[in-house]
Amino acid sequence: MMSFNYFVAFFFIVLGLYCMVTRHNLFKVVIGMSIVDYGANLLIVTVGATNGGTAPVYTGAEIVAGTVFVDPIPMALTLTSIVISACITAMALALVIKMYQHYGTLDTRKIRRLNG
Amino acid sequence: MQVFLDVLGLLFKVFFFPGLAFTLVVSFLLAGLDRKLVARMQRRVGPPLLQPVYDYLKCLGKETIIPRKANRAMFLAAPLLGVASVLVTALFIPVGGAAAFSANGDTVVVLYLLTLASVTVIMGSAASGSPFAGVGLSREMVSMISYELPFVLVLLAVGRVAGAGTALGVTFSFADIAAYQAANGVLLGHVALLPAALAMLLVIPCEVGQQPFDIDEAETEICEGVLAEYSGHPLARYKLMHNVKMFVMSGLFCALFLNIQTGFLLLDGVIFAVLCCVVTFLSMSVPHAVCARFKVEQVFKFYWTIVAGLAAVSLALVWLGL
Amino acid sequence: MSNFPILAVMALFMGAFINSLTGRRSRRVGNIVVFIAMAIALCLMLALIPPVFIEGQVITYWMGGWAPEAGWAYGIGLEVDALSLFFGLIVTIAVMVSGVYSFTYMAKDDSQVNFYTLFLMLSGSVLGLVLSGDLFNIFVMVEIMTFSAVALTAFRNDYEGALEGAFKYLVVGSIGSMCILVGTALIYANLHTLNMAQMAAMLPTQHNTVLVLAFGFLFVGFATKAFLFPFQPLAADAHAVAPASISLMISGVLTKCGVYGIIRLCYGLFQNIDTAAVQYLVTGFGCVTMFVCVTMAFNQHNFKRLLAFHSISQVGYVITAVGLGSALGVSAGLFHAVNHTLFKGLLFLVAGAVQHETGSLDLDGLGGLSKKMPRTCLLFLVGAASISGLPPFNGFASKWMIYQACFAKAGESGNFFYVLVCVVALITSVLTLASFVKVAQSVFYGQLPARYNDVHDCPAAMRAPIWVLAALCALLGVFPGFITRFFLKPATGAALDATAYADQMLGGSHAASAADFQLLGNWSPLVWVVLLLVVCCAVTIVAVSAKKGMAPVLEPAPLAPTDREDVCVAPENAKYEPFFSGEESEYSQVGGSDLFWGFKENWRKYFSFWHRWHSGIVNDYALYGVVALAAVLLYCLLFV
Repeated sequence: MMSFNYFVAFFFIVLGLYCMVTRHNLFKVVIGMSIVDYGANLLIVTVGATNGGTAPVYTGAEIVAGTVFVDPIPMALTLTSIVISACITAMALALVIKMYQHYGTLDTRKIRRLNG
Repeated sequence: MQVFLDVLGLLFKVFFFPGLAFTLVVSFLLAGLDRKLVARMQRRVGPPLLQPVYDYLKCLGKETIIPRKANRAMFLAAPLLGVASVLVTALFIPVGGAAAFSANGDTVVVLYLLTLASVTVIMGSAASGSPFAGVGLSREMVSMISYELPFVLVLLAVGRVAGAGTALGVTFSFADIAAYQAANGVLLGHVALLPAALAMLLVIPCEVGQQPFDIDEAETEICEGVLAEYSGHPLARYKLMHNVKMFVMSGLFCALFLNIQTGFLLLDGVIFAVLCCVVTFLSMSVPHAVCARFKVEQVFKFYWTIVAGLAAVSLALVWLGL
Repeated sequence: MSNFPILAVMALFMGAFINSLTGRRSRRVGNIVVFIAMAIALCLMLALIPPVFIEGQVITYWMGGWAPEAGWAYGIGLEVDALSLFFGLIVTIAVMVSGVYSFTYMAKDDSQVNFYTLFLMLSGSVLGLVLSGDLFNIFVMVEIMTFSAVALTAFRNDYEGALEGAFKYLVVGSIGSMCILVGTALIYANLHTLNMAQMAAMLPTQHNTVLVLAFGFLFVGFATKAFLFPFQPLAADAHAVAPASISLMISGVLTKCGVYGIIRLCYGLFQNIDTAAVQYLVTGFGCVTMFVCVTMAFNQHNFKRLLAFHSISQVGYVITAVGLGSALGVSAGLFHAVNHTLFKGLLFLVAGAVQHETGSLDLDGLGGLSKKMPRTCLLFLVGAASISGLPPFNGFASKWMIYQACFAKAGESGNFFYVLVCVVALITSVLTLASFVKVAQSVFYGQLPARYNDVHDCPAAMRAPIWVLAALCALLGVFPGFITRFFLKPATGAALDATAYADQMLGGSHAASAADFQLLGNWSPLVWVVLLLVVCCAVTIVAVSAKKGMAPVLEPAPLAPTDREDVCVAPENAKYEPFFSGEESEYSQVGGSDLFWGFKENWRKYFSFWHRWHSGIVNDYALYGVVALAAVLLYCLLFV
C-alpha cells in the first residue's frame, strides 16, 4: 500500500515535469508546476503515514495498547507546502495574464524575446 | 648601521642592478639590436644601435596632442601606468640568482602585471575615441586572449618541474626556479620542457607586439591602431614600454629556462644580457624578418592550437613525471 | 545574545509589514522604516561578530523554547556558526547597499510601497535561510525568496521582457524548490528529523540509496538557486530585466544562498566532500559554469545581461573552489563569494546608474560616457578590475587563492583533472577581462553619440552606496590578510568541523575550531602597489623635467551638434579631431559586438551553438533542468 503511494508520488512528479517540458501553452506549464507540487506533497504525507495509524489528536480516549499515531510533522510540512505552492501558482497565473496582455499569445515558443 | 646598509642595498638593487637602470640600458640595447639585425637580414644597412634612444628623445620633444573626443585623464594616465607596470615587472625578473624584488608566487605576479600592461594600452586607445584605435584595441584584446593560454601552460609546466620537491609539488616563485636550475642545470636541458620552451619563444613576439604579431598596431592597415592618436610624451612612454617589454619577455625566458649563476653579480648580468640578445634574435628578429603580418583570426588559431598544444604536451609530460 | 539571529530576521519581516502599513501615505516614512529595518538587521549581525568569529561560539536559538531533549531536536532552531554568520554578513551588507541605492534609483517609480515590502521580504527570507538550523525552514525561506524575487523581477512590468524573465525564473526555479522539498522529505523518511545539526550527527554513519538520492535532489535544488550551469539562462533573463538594485540582490545574495546550501550539504550534512566522486561533481559543475557563462557574455548586447553571465561565471569559481574539499579551497571559495557580492553589486549598480541617466542598456548604442559620467566611470573601472582579477583589487586576492587551492589539490592527489581546472580558471579570468574591456569601450569610452550630449553624472545619493562597495573592493584587495585571519579561518573551520555544529546545537560542548591552512605565497599586494606608485612618480618626474618641448595642451572647443543626429560640426582646428585618414569625421563607434571578431570567428560554431541553446523558450530551460536533475541523480546512484 505504502509503496504504491511512493510510486504515485514520483509518478506525479515525473508527469508534472513532463508537462512542463513538453506543453507549449503557458497555462499548461503552470498546471505542470502544480502537479509536481502535488507529487511532492503526497510524498511527504506518505513519509509520515503508518498503516492503521490514527490521527495524532490527543483526546484521551485513543490511548489504548496497540494504537499508533501517524507522524504529525509531515502533515504540518504538507500544509505549509500546499500554502506555498498555492502562492506560487497564483503568482504564475498573474504573470500569465499579464504576459497574455503584453504578447497577445500563450504560446511559449513565441514568448522568447530574451534569448541568446 | 645594518639597517642602513640593507636599505642602501635594496635601493641599489631596485634602481641600478638588476633594477631600473640595468633594465633600461638592456631594453634600449635589445630594441636597437633587433632593428639592426632585421635590417641586416633584409640586406639593409639599418639604423644605428642607439636609434631607439634617439626616437625616444625625439618623441619627448614633440607636442602632445589630445583629441577633442578623448577622455583626457585616461588618455594620459594609461601610458604612464603601462610603463610603470612593465618596469615593476622587470624588477621581478631574476638576473642570475637575484631579482631586485622577489616574493612568493611572483611568476603569477609577472603574468598579471604583463596583462595589466596590455590593459593599459587597450584603455588608453579606448579613451582616445578614434575608430582606428577601436579596431586596434579589439585586435590587441584578441592577441591577449591568444597568448595567455600557452603562457599559463608554460608557467605551470616549469613550476611543476622546479617545484617537484616542495610540499605542494609546484612552485610559482622565480627564486625556487633559479635554485632548481643552480642545482640541476638549466631547464632547457630538461627534455620534457623543450616543447614548452619552444612555445615560450613563440609567445614572446605576440606578448611584445612585434611583427609578425603586431596586429594591434598594424600601421599599413589601421594606421598604428592603438597608437593612432598618440603623440609626444605619451607616445614616447608607449615606445619605452614596448622596449622594456622586449627585455622583460626575453629575460623571462632566460629566467625560466636558461638561468645561469656564476656567483659574480656583474658576470651574471653580462651573461644575462647576452642571453637576452640571443632570445630576442631567435624569437623576435627572425620571425620579423621572414614572416608577413598575420591576420587576426590566424593569430588566435595559431596560439590556441599549435603553441598551446606544444605547451600542453610539455605539461602532460611533466605531470607524468618524465 | 542568543535571540539576535531571530530578531535580525524578524526586523526585516516586520519592516516589510510596517512599510506596507505606513508607506502608502508617505514615502518618506516608508523609507525610514525600511532603513531602520535594514540597519537593525545589519547591527545585530555585526554584534554577533565578536562572540562567533573571535570567541568561536555557536549561537543557537530554539523557537518557542523547544530545546532538544536527550540529544533529540524537536523544535525549530536557528543556529549561527561562523559559516552562517559569514553569509549573514554578506547578506545584510548587500541588503543595506541595495536598499539605500533604491531610495534614489526607484524614486520615480510608482507603487514603491510594494517594492519595498517585497524587497524586505526577500532580504528577510535570505537572512533566515542562512541562519536557519532546520532543513524544512530552509525550504520555506527558499520559496519566499523565489516568490519575492520573481515579483521584483517583474516589478517594472512595462519594461521589455520583464514578465517573460520573471515567468521563466518562476517555472524553472520551481523545479529547484521541488528538489529541495523532495530531498528534505527523503531525509526525513530515514532520520525522522529536520534539524540540520541532528542530521550532521546522524547522516555520515548512514548510507543507503534513499539518502544518496536525497543528496542528489538537494544538490540540484541548491544548484538551481545558485544558477549553476544548466540554470544560468534564468539568471541572465532575470538580471537583465530586474531593477538594478534587485539585480544586485539576485546576483550578490540569492546566488550566495545556493552556495551556502551546497557548502552545508557537502561539508555539514552528508560530509561526503572527502569522496572523489562528490569533488568531481561539485568542481565539474563549477568549472563548466564558469567557462560557459564567460563565453556567453561575449554574445551579449545588453549591459546587464552581460553582467548576469559574468555573475554566474564568478559563482562558478566559488563552487569550483568549494568542491576541492580542502581548507584552502573552502576559504578561497568563501573569499570569492564575498568579493563576488561586492564587485558584482558595484557593477550592477553602475549599470543601473547608466540606465537611470541615459535610459538605455544597449551596448551597441551607448558610448563615450566617461566624459559625461566621470565618477561613475571611475567606479566602473574599479569594479571591472576587481572582477577581472587585476591586482590590487579583491578579485585578484581571491582568485589567487583559488588557483593555489586547485594546484595544491592537483599536487596532493596527483590528478591531472585539477590542473585543467586551474587552467580553465586562469583562462576564464582572461576572458572576463577581455569582456569588460568591451564594456568599457562600448559604454564609457569610444565616441559619444550626440543624443547623450546632455547626460549628467548620477546623483550623489546613488553614488554613495557604490563608493562603499568600491572602497570595500580596494580594502579587501590590499589587506587580504585581515579578512583571512578574522573571517575566513573561523568560517572555514565551521564548514569543515561539522561535529562542532552538531554538538553545540544539541547541547554538547564541542568548541568550534578555526581551520588552519597555509597559503603558498604570502602575497603582499601592498608592497608592489607602493612599488607601482613609486615608479609612476619616477616616470612622471623624468617626464616633467624633460618637458621643454611640450606645447600646452589646448582645451578642446565644445562640440556643436548639427541637425544630423550623430555628426558634429567640422573642426576649426583639425589637429584636435581624431585621425580619420582625411575622411570626413563621422560617428564611427566600434560596436561592442564587433570587438572580438578574431576570437569569435574561430569559435563561431561554439558561439552559435550556445546562442541556439539559450533559446528563450521556457520549456527548453525546464528540459535542461530536468536533464541535469536526472544526470545528477544517476551520477549519485552510480558513484556516490
